[in-house]
Amino acid sequence: MKKFRNLNHNVTFSLIVAFIIGSIIITALGENVFRVFGILISGAFDGSLKFGTTLQFFVPLFLTAIAFAVSTKVDINNIGVEGSLLLGAIAAAVTGAYVTGLSPIFHISLALIIAIVVGAAWAYIPAILKIKLNVNEITVTILLNYVALYFTSFLVMGPFSADVGAPRTMTILDSARIGTFLSPSKANYGIIIAIVVYFIILFIFSKTTFGYKITNSGLNSKFSFFVGINSKRMRIIGMLISGAIGGLAGGIEVLGVYGFYLYGFSFNTAFDGMLISLIAKNNLKKIPVIAFFIAALKSGALSMARYTDIPKSTIDMLISIFILLVAMDGIYEVIKNMVIRKKEREEAKC
Amino acid sequence: MENTIVKLNNIVKTFGDVTAISEGHFELRKGEIHSLIGENGAGKSTLMKILYGMHVPDSGEIIIHGKTYKSLNPKTAISLKIGMVHQEFMLVNELTVLENIILGFEPMNGLRIDFHTARENITEYIEKYNLVVPLNKKIMDLSVGEAQRVEILKTLLRGSEILILDEPTAVLTPDESLQLFDILETLRQSGKSIVFISHKLKEVMHISDRITIMRASKFVDTLIKKNTTIDEIAVKMIGKEVFLGRKEKDIDFNDEVVLKIENIYVPSSREKSKIRGLSLEVRKGEVLGLAGVDGNGQTELVEALTGLREIYSGKVFIDNIESTNISPKAVRNLKVGHIPEDRNTLGLNRFTSIEDNIIATKLGDGVFSNKSIIDRVKTLEYCKSKIKAFNVKPPLPSLVTSSLSGGNAQKVVVSREINDDLKVLIASQPTRGVDIGSIEEIREHIYNSQKQGVGVLLVSADLEEILSLSDRIAVIFEGKIAGIISVKDATEHNLSVLMTGGTLEKV
Repeated sequence: MKKFRNLNHNVTFSLIVAFIIGSIIITALGENVFRVFGILISGAFDGSLKFGTTLQFFVPLFLTAIAFAVSTKVDINNIGVEGSLLLGAIAAAVTGAYVTGLSPIFHISLALIIAIVVGAAWAYIPAILKIKLNVNEITVTILLNYVALYFTSFLVMGPFSADVGAPRTMTILDSARIGTFLSPSKANYGIIIAIVVYFIILFIFSKTTFGYKITNSGLNSKFSFFVGINSKRMRIIGMLISGAIGGLAGGIEVLGVYGFYLYGFSFNTAFDGMLISLIAKNNLKKIPVIAFFIAALKSGALSMARYTDIPKSTIDMLISIFILLVAMDGIYEVIKNMVIRKKEREEAKC
Repeated sequence: MENTIVKLNNIVKTFGDVTAISEGHFELRKGEIHSLIGENGAGKSTLMKILYGMHVPDSGEIIIHGKTYKSLNPKTAISLKIGMVHQEFMLVNELTVLENIILGFEPMNGLRIDFHTARENITEYIEKYNLVVPLNKKIMDLSVGEAQRVEILKTLLRGSEILILDEPTAVLTPDESLQLFDILETLRQSGKSIVFISHKLKEVMHISDRITIMRASKFVDTLIKKNTTIDEIAVKMIGKEVFLGRKEKDIDFNDEVVLKIENIYVPSSREKSKIRGLSLEVRKGEVLGLAGVDGNGQTELVEALTGLREIYSGKVFIDNIESTNISPKAVRNLKVGHIPEDRNTLGLNRFTSIEDNIIATKLGDGVFSNKSIIDRVKTLEYCKSKIKAFNVKPPLPSLVTSSLSGGNAQKVVVSREINDDLKVLIASQPTRGVDIGSIEEIREHIYNSQKQGVGVLLVSADLEEILSLSDRIAVIFEGKIAGIISVKDATEHNLSVLMTGGTLEKV
């Protein structure tokens, strides 16, 4: 218990330090720190457009963070959530635009299920390479992200092009649209799907035998094999779930926000998701809060850029510093150990 | 002959909680081959690595040519003309033999390496000591024996007068070993002093002048070869504790065989066939002790029986059902319990709680789950009963197992593996690294399951344990059963003979 409390302290502490550094930079850029942060906060929460935008940002960040955290549960770092997201998005867009004659509930379900399947299938490639051939998953997933990106680029310029000048697919039919709220923002009911998925994942990992097997396979695959769990299979399944959630995130973005697949619509969403998961130390229980916080920062940054001279990227920088400080947790440990060892050595000398 | 050049006195070396050497003595005279013998983990290599400066001893003194040192580093060791050939060769695979030998000591001609002089120098050594190596070949194309000769050449060219060879024959074929012994003899005649680390008695008797024995991180004795016998060394090496606590058993085990091994061949990670044609039968209600010097195939045998390692020839039957090459899960379904040798990675998931560790093998059976949702009320109850029955301390189901002491961690493993419905129990080093109190408790549990009719295969490096628990004792030597004796006929002597490759007929 004590350890957990320390961890929270570290996150809070890191956050404060990150904001202090941010303040220094903002001051150096010639702006009033309090005004800038004021605008940042009101930009995230004040009014339905602004709060809606925060919620809109929240959904893909939340889902991709869960996706990454799930992959770490099976001791694999799925950097390829972005690829699953892109392919899931275009799969949903195509299903939404070309399949006709379905009622909304079926059309949305079909599009999302296809997005999930495509996302999972994409994650199967690095998973099988890792488990069967011990190929480093980080290299594979980073490279596969480009493959996914350029493959969707080919699709939106070729077979599924909407021929409107922009590299995008046809707009999806109304029956495939996920409804929005907090108009005129693009917040949509995809958030409910995300929350449901989150609780399902949480339930699986904490309550079921299946979750127990997956967790053990990730923590100690030798032990798991020894006690009779097919740990290789469990780790592959973990990756499939990760990819599936990535695909779902892409599907919701298309059906709820954009209405089509636009080449380059995701500015590394899944990478931000991964960072959120890292800040949370891949702890599923902490992900919602941190995902919401990051979404608010990103949404507030839009107003900040509009009303002050501080560029939007300052927020990304702030997030980076934040992550760096949280990651330094390990360094605190190392320093502590060094001090202890030095003491021991001195005692030994005496 | 009597001039001592190296003396190690009262060396103590610990690595964290593990004591590698608790009392190390060693003395080397000029022009002798001095063997250092002991079982794996007795501290032989560590002691010599201290002499070569790779480890700093916690206490004790190192005297070389009459000068006392607290500790050395490899650089000063080399300057004191000490050279060491390690178990793992320190060679660059992609370079030629010549390049490897001169690496770091290249004779220069201006800015260029003078390969010509280097070649002449090395050839001289090759002829002098009969160390034949192909200078132009790359290391990766050499045989292990040749690579070893390259290592020896390297140390000689650095001017070594004292040569330490760490288990040099472990990687050699018998023929290559004989060649090595010829080389060592030549070196000795030219006045070099050689430390030969080994656990093979025959070799040691073959080449040594004197023999120092270590056991359980302690110096035991230094013997002169001429005045000793293999048996004497074997007894000193394996230990001569009085075998206390041998249980008077009047269990009548019937002839029903619960574990049958038929002529199996099993590879290890290094060797193609570590187990070579091993057959064994364990009957219902008996403890069959498997004794042997570590590294003769015990680990591979246990892994093969429990589905963790592939058997490439031969068959295994558990309770008359063939179980050759089936998954660990399938082996468990045949009611086999397995206390593994490697407690920390195989036996326990150190990241999870006692409760999660204890229920690990039971989860799939639907005992503790309702439609795949874990019934935490039941698991907690079960875990508490196990903790109580096996006296795990502290008795907290939610405690992470990495914070348990060795004995209690092992009790968690044992409590999971020993169940009422068991048919076969395979216990590998069940009490290694465990405190005395827990040792007794764990042995009691093994004894109890025997009483309930479980066939137990007990693998242990601890002869006392084997003798106090077993009904019959099988001795494994180089992947085969060297002999099976009933516990009544077992003596420390005849076991030692079997363990070191002898046969009972000769005795």
